[in-house]
Amino acid sequence: MTLSPIRDKVRAGEPLTFEDGVALYRHANLLEVGALANDVRERLHGDRTYFNRNFHINATNVCVASCMFCSFARLKEGDAGAYTMTHDQAWAKLQERVDAGDPVTEIHIVNGLHDGLPFDYYTDLLAGLKRIKPDIHLKAFTAVEIFYYHQHYGLSVEEILRRLRAAGLDSLPGGGAEIFAPRVRKKICDDKCTADQWLDVHRTAHRMGLRSNCTMLYGTIETVEERVDHMLRLRALQEETAGFQTFIPLAFHPDNNALMKLPAPTGVEDLRTYAVARLLLHNIPHLKAYWIMLGVKTAQTALWFGANDLDGTVQEEKIYHMAGADTPQTLTSDEIVRVITEAGRTPVERDTLYNVVAEGEALRSAKPFRRPVRRSLEIVS
Amino acid sequence: MNRLRLAAVSFLNARPITYGLERGAGDEMFDLRFDLPARCAEALASGAVDLALLPLGSYATSPEDLRIVPGIAVASRGPVRTVLLAGDVPWQDMSSIALDAASRSSVMLLKLLNREREMSPSLVAVDHDEIGTAASGTRGALIIGDAGLRLGDRYPHIYDLGREWTALTGLPFVYAVWAGRPGMVTPEHVRVLRDSLRAGLDNRAEIARGWADERGMDPAVCESYLHNNIRYRLGAEELSGAAAFLHRAHTAGLLTRPAARLRFFDDGRLEHPTCNSKLAPALPLPRSELAFPRPNTTRSVDGLLADAAAGLRLGFDDAIRLYNDAPTLDLGAAADARRRALHGDSVVTYIIDRNVNYTNVCVTRCKFCNFYRPPGHAEGYTLSKEILAAKLQETVDLGGVQILLQGGLNPDLPLAFYEDLFRWMKANFPLAIHGLSPEEIRFIAEKENMSLRGVLERLVAAGLDSVPGGGAEVLDDDVRRAISPLKCSTDTWLEVMRQAHALGLRTTATMVFGFGETPAQVFGHLEHLRALQDETAGFTAFICWPFQAEGTRLKLKDDTTAMRYLRLFALSRLYLDNFPNLQVSWPTMGPDVGQVALRFGGNDFGSAMIEENVVSQAGAVFKLSAGDIERYVRTAGFEPRRRNMRYELLPA
Repeated sequence: MTLSPIRDKVRAGEPLTFEDGVALYRHANLLEVGALANDVRERLHGDRTYFNRNFHINATNVCVASCMFCSFARLKEGDAGAYTMTHDQAWAKLQERVDAGDPVTEIHIVNGLHDGLPFDYYTDLLAGLKRIKPDIHLKAFTAVEIFYYHQHYGLSVEEILRRLRAAGLDSLPGGGAEIFAPRVRKKICDDKCTADQWLDVHRTAHRMGLRSNCTMLYGTIETVEERVDHMLRLRALQEETAGFQTFIPLAFHPDNNALMKLPAPTGVEDLRTYAVARLLLHNIPHLKAYWIMLGVKTAQTALWFGANDLDGTVQEEKIYHMAGADTPQTLTSDEIVRVITEAGRTPVERDTLYNVVAEGEALRSAKPFRRPVRRSLEIVS
Repeated sequence: MNRLRLAAVSFLNARPITYGLERGAGDEMFDLRFDLPARCAEALASGAVDLALLPLGSYATSPEDLRIVPGIAVASRGPVRTVLLAGDVPWQDMSSIALDAASRSSVMLLKLLNREREMSPSLVAVDHDEIGTAASGTRGALIIGDAGLRLGDRYPHIYDLGREWTALTGLPFVYAVWAGRPGMVTPEHVRVLRDSLRAGLDNRAEIARGWADERGMDPAVCESYLHNNIRYRLGAEELSGAAAFLHRAHTAGLLTRPAARLRFFDDGRLEHPTCNSKLAPALPLPRSELAFPRPNTTRSVDGLLADAAAGLRLGFDDAIRLYNDAPTLDLGAAADARRRALHGDSVVTYIIDRNVNYTNVCVTRCKFCNFYRPPGHAEGYTLSKEILAAKLQETVDLGGVQILLQGGLNPDLPLAFYEDLFRWMKANFPLAIHGLSPEEIRFIAEKENMSLRGVLERLVAAGLDSVPGGGAEVLDDDVRRAISPLKCSTDTWLEVMRQAHALGLRTTATMVFGFGETPAQVFGHLEHLRALQDETAGFTAFICWPFQAEGTRLKLKDDTTAMRYLRLFALSRLYLDNFPNLQVSWPTMGPDVGQVALRFGGNDFGSAMIEENVVSQAGAVFKLSAGDIERYVRTAGFEPRRRNMRYELLPA
């Protein structure tokens, strides 16, 4: 097929249609779609490629939901591998960073849907973290968790968000969206809130002035049409609220879960999903190549297929690693800077809200990677 | 000097080859006559001529040890239009086939294709002049030469055997080559023969017109035939096609001698049997079919990429410019266009083989290597035949077709060890031996105080099938001294390959980057390979990967970023215009990036390796089964096909 009609629309800034999205997935040459997505990326961001200094807290993996793609959750306390952190354990993770002089700017907090914790477990968790480092940005609780708290504690979504925000919540991560199509949701994550409920939590948060991210889990049993539909529903909400900052496609990882028989998406499928997302989601400013999930190499390549963000330093990740991700647990900021620079892009350290923390010379404290042969000759052993 | 007596085929397709000779070039050297293919062979056999344009089948069945003029062939890739099976009924319904006895190669090709279709029609020889009318009822006819161009639609069922061959193997078919006895042809002869062809290729329209006028044929048909059907290069793909044909013919019992290898006359580059000789400037093969203009250094990046994508030769400075300045996806798209031009848009190949590292004892102590143990070390090993037998049998059981046999430079192992090993392997297992990198061959030659050629001849006699291109790292002596000071020089590495190619061995070529080398050093490496390939056409494939640093003594970080790999890989596809195949390196880059590289110029997914010991000791952890490989190839939009070392497609 020829990409010309789609290319014309993209150049004119017109929104693409559902059919366009399907055609980009099914028929177009990968490098052509990539180049078109790259045009959009460069129009929006030039070579600038963002990352942040963050780490994750998964305070509990006890979860009443049984999603088929999940290797992380345990149904109840006492099950093998089940854990729930005490506040002190969770707070200690931040305290260690502060003591080490690590200029971390964000904590990403997502958890299982635990049916035995009081609501103030969460508010106290956030408040304690803010006490240790008042300027830390707390990006916490997916819409699925918020909706579960609303049901479990009998408070409105807005009230849940208001109390969490009062305790220190700064923004919402984009997880739990999975795939919006009811057919898929029913099969792979029947216990989670519906698409409308997920979208409504974000709508409410945006109205309250909270920013959030959004995601899509791809590579399980969904069709190309269902992926395109998912993205268009995100786009529609963004038209209404403009509250999403970043879209993050998440590749399914098959180890240790109920979908083990499925193969993981391959690199070419990953890159195509990134490129199509960049082209369809014209109103969501950022597209994140989450290296934990993609692998550093594919994530780096995605920087030429529409992505302009590599997420952060992360430090310790559980959810993807329990599903077989063999990526490192952490990348130092120097390593991220090198990966971005080697891709021919310009690294920019951001905070969660995409304010610039450091760029240019300030990031060049990293030693240049390539040294002349002569100087690289010292034998270590 | 006595004039060399030549016999050339009296078909239109030979005329570009003899064009210059017919017009007086080399008159003082050559005496030329024309005859039917089979009679050219007879004239050579009887000693009536010294050099003949010989059907490949006749070359293979000759009782003498003939040599071939490098670089020149009559070949096709796909339809040839002058080797046709015609009849009133479909092929499968033919009870007999009349043969034009004038070409032995075409007859052997027909027999092979019959066998492939599990058919055995009776074959009846018919005189060349009568073949055009020989088919009727359930009798088909094999029609060769110009008669094919006149056939039109006289028969309802016409099969082009060139097309059939390429569909079966994925490779070109070689119909004829210049062949003669060793020592008859000098480098000067080779030069004049190449010039003759070069002139002929530039004057195909004139040749076609003259030929058509004399015979009342359509000149446009003749010209299109010379331009679009016949290929005159004996390049890397043609060598693979010829080797595949000889191998299949031998397996089918059509050749009594073991598959003959193509051995070449000296074209002036093989006068130095020792390793470190300085080499004469390259004498390029005829390339006028591609007519490379000199690249203009003021071209824009887009212009350079468009030229390279179209198959024009990329210059050294321009390549560096593209490496520095070209957008990554534009490089990929240009390389993808080259791949498509060379291999079409459907098939990506892979091989099932096993890495066997027969010894880890090594005197070289390369700083980037985690595998070796110095002589006397407690962890040093040399595999016993018992262990080898188990590994080889397992390889056969898993559908493997080849052993990649490499090891350290072990001072305790004489040439006789390898000869014995190869003979034993060949006697007991149906596996090709892709073995001993140039460094190992150089080491054996030194240990035995023999020439490289001498060692290679002995290894070939013992069963060596092809040589892996390992140990090249970066072919730049400054880099080599820095990372592996005891390894062979650039010239030696190239010289081993040159000698191997001259003996009819095919080899691969590699590059390991990420040692802090400069772009000029990288493209210097590729320039060395491209120049040698122009000379010999002996390389089948190129593979590159970034050095794997973990645990090695080089104080470098892994240069494993995907971006540099993909850019260098795409540029390799563009620069190495005379290399047919580019293999992606999933063991080091991971299958996802390996898969993406299929869109940056790669046409081969490498090996479903049953065993790997070297890069896996330095941090590369990927493993794929044949099923995994096929899934990665399919999701990239290609059809996976198994191959052998000749890149010949194998049944799934």
